Amino acid sequence: MSEHVKEITQAEYEKEVLQAGEPVVLDFFSTECPPCEALAPKFEAVAGQFAGKARFLKIFRQGNRDLAARLGVSGSPTLIFFKGGSEVGERLSGEDIKRTALKAQVESMLA
Amino acid sequence: MAERYDLVVVGAGPAGLTAAIYAARARMRTLVLDESVPGGQVKTTHKVSNYPGFPEDVKGTDLAKAFSAQAERFGAKIRRAVEITKHGLEGDLKTFELDEEEQVEAPAVIVATGARPRELGVPGESKFKGRGISYCATCDGAYFDGKEIHVIGGGNSAVEESLFLTQFARKVTIVHQFDHFQAEPVSAQEALHNPKIEVIWDSEPRAFLGEKQLDALRIENVKTKEVRELKTDGVFIFVGYVPRTDLVKGLVKMNPWGYVETGDDMSTDVPGLYVAGDIRSKQFRQITTAVADGTIAALAVQRYLKGRK
Repeated sequence: MSEHVKEITQAEYEKEVLQAGEPVVLDFFSTECPPCEALAPKFEAVAGQFAGKARFLKIFRQGNRDLAARLGVSGSPTLIFFKGGSEVGERLSGEDIKRTALKAQVESMLA
Repeated sequence: MAERYDLVVVGAGPAGLTAAIYAARARMRTLVLDESVPGGQVKTTHKVSNYPGFPEDVKGTDLAKAFSAQAERFGAKIRRAVEITKHGLEGDLKTFELDEEEQVEAPAVIVATGARPRELGVPGESKFKGRGISYCATCDGAYFDGKEIHVIGGGNSAVEESLFLTQFARKVTIVHQFDHFQAEPVSAQEALHNPKIEVIWDSEPRAFLGEKQLDALRIENVKTKEVRELKTDGVFIFVGYVPRTDLVKGLVKMNPWGYVETGDDMSTDVPGLYVAGDIRSKQFRQITTAVADGTIAALAVQRYLKGRK
């Protein structure tokens, strides 16, 4: 388990995401997904930069299908941003999620 | 202080990794940069059947790992998930800033950034990306277990990935703009005989529809002009590629489609700047042709660096 990124399950979604005090970035990932492997180190790095200001969570899609379906997530990786219990901003998904784009979106959430 | 290399290769697909194998074996200090994990388009191809040396099909991810392991064995350094935040490729010494913090430099650069899946540019496409629309069957196929999906396209990728998607989906309907597949006959025949696959010929998507989630696509028959809407659980789009040329835009000559023009030795008009693989203007884009480009580029760089000394 990494230092700044916590893995959750759908049972913890309410508490960890919706009731969180800080803004949240939630990463839906899958296995056999090279773009997910590529995102992981960037997600980790950005999580470190915002430690204490925003929460970085990841959730394994295959093990949490109901929540993925409920949130309408149909691809991995997908990043969803939450503030005060509601989704904010554009989702980021697919192969080309840049570290700078993720950072910019977290910054705008904190602004 | 910038870290100094003999060669920086941008893009860890077949072209870039082959260049790295040749360069590292020639004892050049070689750095390969990729914003993802190594393998380029190969890593998300579910199987490769036409790469020599593999009498049985090889999984794209396995081939990608083999390429990168071979380059690393000879000492090439591969940096994964790294973003180039600044670059200067014009001068005698090429420079890069990585992730806004590191500096690297080298007298020679091979740009092998390849191509990304082409988007259709149809209304609703960006809205439903990740909400029903996908460009990667290996990544997202499992989301559509038991579902009815549509595939747009009729080339090798569209047909082969449709076959792969039948492992998950209950039904795969291919929507193709012509009245026959462009894919190789072996896969085209396999698709036509697959009971889970149906094909709608002569038709193009016009819109993707739904509230929050994709639930239908509107298609038009290009011959009869008939327009209809099809219910769908998801759409996979495989309609070709566009070159990734951000790094060299304005610096090198490009053809009208945006691919980079090079000499036979992969050189560009900028001394020390070479280009290899799918990003290049050429007739055929295959793993084998990318590998050939990478070889030539690395050998040309060796000659260039010797001439400089």
